[in-house]
Amino acid sequence: MLVALAGNPNTGKSTIFNALTGMKQHVGNWPGVTVEKKEGEMEINGTRVKVVDLPGTYSLTAYSMEEIITRNFIIEEKPDVIVDIIDASNLERNLYLLTELLELHSKIIVVLNMFDEAEKKYSIDVAKMSRILGLPVVPAVGIRGKGIDELKEKILRGKFNPKKVEYPEDVEKRIEKIEEKIRKLGFEPARWYAIKVIENDVEVVKKIKDKGARDILHLAEHLRHEIEDIYGDDIESVMTSFRYSFAHGLFHEVAEPINVGGVTITDMLDHVITHKIFGIPIFLAIMYLSFQFVFLVAAPFQDAIDLLFNGKGTVSGHIPGLVDLSYNWMVTFMPDWLSSFINHGMLRGLGAVLTFTPVIMLLFLILSFLEDSGYLARVAFLMDSIMKKMGLEGRGIIPLMLGFGCNVPAVMATRTLKDEKERKLSIALNPLIPCGARIQVFAFLSSIFFPSNPALVLWSLLILSMVVVFVLGFIYSKTIFRGRSEPFVLELPPYRMPTMKGISIHMWEKSEGFLRKAGTIIVGAAAIIWIFAALPWGVKYGSPDSYIGMFAQWIAPIGTAFGLTPQAIISLIFGFFAKEVVIDVLYVLFGSKDAILASMTWAQAYSFMLFMLFYTPCVATIATIYNETKSKKFTLFVILEGFILAALFSFTFYTIVTLLGVGA
Amino acid sequence: MLLSELRPGEYGIVKKIGGSGAIHRRLLSMGLLPGAIVRVVRISPFGDPIEYEIRGFFISLRKQEAANVEVDKIVPLSLVPGNSDVRVIFIDGGVGFVQNMGAMGIAVGKILKVIKPCCPMQVQTERGIFTVGRGMAYRVFVR
Ligand SMILES: Nc1nc2c(ncn2[C@@H]2O[C@H](COP(=O)(O)OP(=O)(O)OP(=O)(O)O)[C@@H](O)[C@H]2O)c(=O)[nH]1
Ligand SMILES: [Mg+2]
Repeated sequence: MLVALAGNPNTGKSTIFNALTGMKQHVGNWPGVTVEKKEGEMEINGTRVKVVDLPGTYSLTAYSMEEIITRNFIIEEKPDVIVDIIDASNLERNLYLLTELLELHSKIIVVLNMFDEAEKKYSIDVAKMSRILGLPVVPAVGIRGKGIDELKEKILRGKFNPKKVEYPEDVEKRIEKIEEKIRKLGFEPARWYAIKVIENDVEVVKKIKDKGARDILHLAEHLRHEIEDIYGDDIESVMTSFRYSFAHGLFHEVAEPINVGGVTITDMLDHVITHKIFGIPIFLAIMYLSFQFVFLVAAPFQDAIDLLFNGKGTVSGHIPGLVDLSYNWMVTFMPDWLSSFINHGMLRGLGAVLTFTPVIMLLFLILSFLEDSGYLARVAFLMDSIMKKMGLEGRGIIPLMLGFGCNVPAVMATRTLKDEKERKLSIALNPLIPCGARIQVFAFLSSIFFPSNPALVLWSLLILSMVVVFVLGFIYSKTIFRGRSEPFVLELPPYRMPTMKGISIHMWEKSEGFLRKAGTIIVGAAAIIWIFAALPWGVKYGSPDSYIGMFAQWIAPIGTAFGLTPQAIISLIFGFFAKEVVIDVLYVLFGSKDAILASMTWAQAYSFMLFMLFYTPCVATIATIYNETKSKKFTLFVILEGFILAALFSFTFYTIVTLLGVGA
Repeated sequence: MLLSELRPGEYGIVKKIGGSGAIHRRLLSMGLLPGAIVRVVRISPFGDPIEYEIRGFFISLRKQEAANVEVDKIVPLSLVPGNSDVRVIFIDGGVGFVQNMGAMGIAVGKILKVIKPCCPMQVQTERGIFTVGRGMAYRVFVR
């Protein structure tokens, strides 16, 4: 049995989905797009039921990814039952989607979720609603598991005798005319197709055109103009009005308002939170505190994982970690190179993957809290006019700010952007924000090469990256990522106390997804790096005699133009694996701070930092970008973008300084 | 006038939804339809977007999007000052509510005189002088 959960955004679909399926769920993408697909399984009295959590939509037009996915799923997969999750505290608008679903499917269970909140606004006559609609109606409070048993029972044994959404006679007449012809084409549900073709729905029109039934299209166009003439408005307004008046009528039949016109808590909170003057400082303070929380709490866990895998160098010698211990053990029964490959390559890679998880878990803990509480929608409201200039909606600021911590969770956080194009734009910009690891390297290099004013140098890089991100966002939004695919109509939900369950499931999903999918790519990359750094077998790891070293020497003449020394190139190659490694590599190659200082002029050092600011994202970020977009082409684009910017800035800077003769 | 031109605290009744394609459909499916009542809640610190209340929920629209909506400015009866004459434009409620109001002579198109402002308020209709509670006064829109 197949059950689909549909409903407006933010009505508790996922909460109910979780309550139904428990941990038996799987999160992926809908084919070809980055819209999340959740599937799960449950058992009701021995019947196995597959449950699909459809994306939240306000209607079923052909103008957004989510809506197209939802209606195509219903038409093509023909679920046995659709569960329409309605936010009962916002009944009228939520009923609108039901009117559209009624045209698509006959077995619909209406869940009046958030019944706790609804009861504060009006009293709802559930039985009357069920009678009028001819459908099972189940009141529920998803967060407390109320109504779930009744829902399960209705899924198995509900009675369906649905009422049709009727249009006025002169519209019905015209729908019927088309419906007959559609039926002959074999399209089902014919009435829905008929209504949609009259409404000039692009997808349906295309489908009919593909069947070569041009006569239907001509007839529909003719009927459309007739309806428009009769009602004096465009067809979409006319048809939507009819469906809305059904929803409106039903709403007033079953709900009796109590407490009109009072001031709500949400309104009082918004007075402060979205205040003209305080709004922005409050936002910055919340972000700052979240950051502090995440990185303070994550740091000891990350250190512990690092210690576990890599051990620690102390005054009295090196305390071995898992990598060394396992290497020493395996070497007793396998060739040295194989043990080194397994341990120094792959096991170390696994360690690197695991060190990311505390940050990811904590960041998504905070992000889910901000999202579920309703604050993220306010961020969108506050920041929209700034972010709009770089082609993003207000929430686009969140991943960009997270980027200063780590680009991996930041790229994952672009999911908060609902628009596909904006999400891609945001992902393309994110790696250009220097993450904590890069900032650490910059701070180190600045203190060596610019001892008189390291902070100024560091700030110059940070500001440059922000300017580049802003300008590039502006250019991208006017060119390759032009125009949102959908208008920015944002709902501002009431503030709610998030539930621990909702947050922990979200956190788990994100971390698990990262570990499983991005993790494999990272471990693979670690193995490849090992091959190039340790071979030919016998050379010192990463030395000029290794493949990486040979490559660095081969490319050195080109590097000169950018102010890059061969050692700098080697460190950059390792930095591809993890940016903070750059410092370690320089130490290994030179042995001391003074030797590093002597190896480059200040101009070369600054060029080196400029290059590192933008050149390729680290392996983990690349893996995440691929995992989020599932597009090799796009991932490659982001890598190239980085190299081009890196080359551009370091070349320009180094050339100018050399021409001026002040570089030495 | 355009929805984007209303100021915070003001109400409008939708006359027509313009625009085309996605924005047109999206506005419609949010319930912005001819005859719907919209209230301007607040403006973002940078002047755009703007928060609106419609059918009991809250949405944020960018100015350029809100400019697709044509409205007439109206006022809920509860905000009308004392001693003024107004015309009823819209009554927000089901059949029962509209009937109850009608019994007091408050119906679309009728002229009322506000004797004492909200709340509770006193209004004179063609059927006499009535006391109107807060809950009712918020659902009758006049001009
Ligand atoms: N008060 C109350 N809150 C609820 C109820 N059900 C869910 N919530 C809260 O509503 C918010 C949205 O719930 P989700 O399950 O994420 O909603 P959704 O429909 O999956 O949202 P999208 O996937 O964004 O469309 C969360 O903060 C939930 O904790 C309920 O019955 N009562
Ligand atoms: Mg959901």
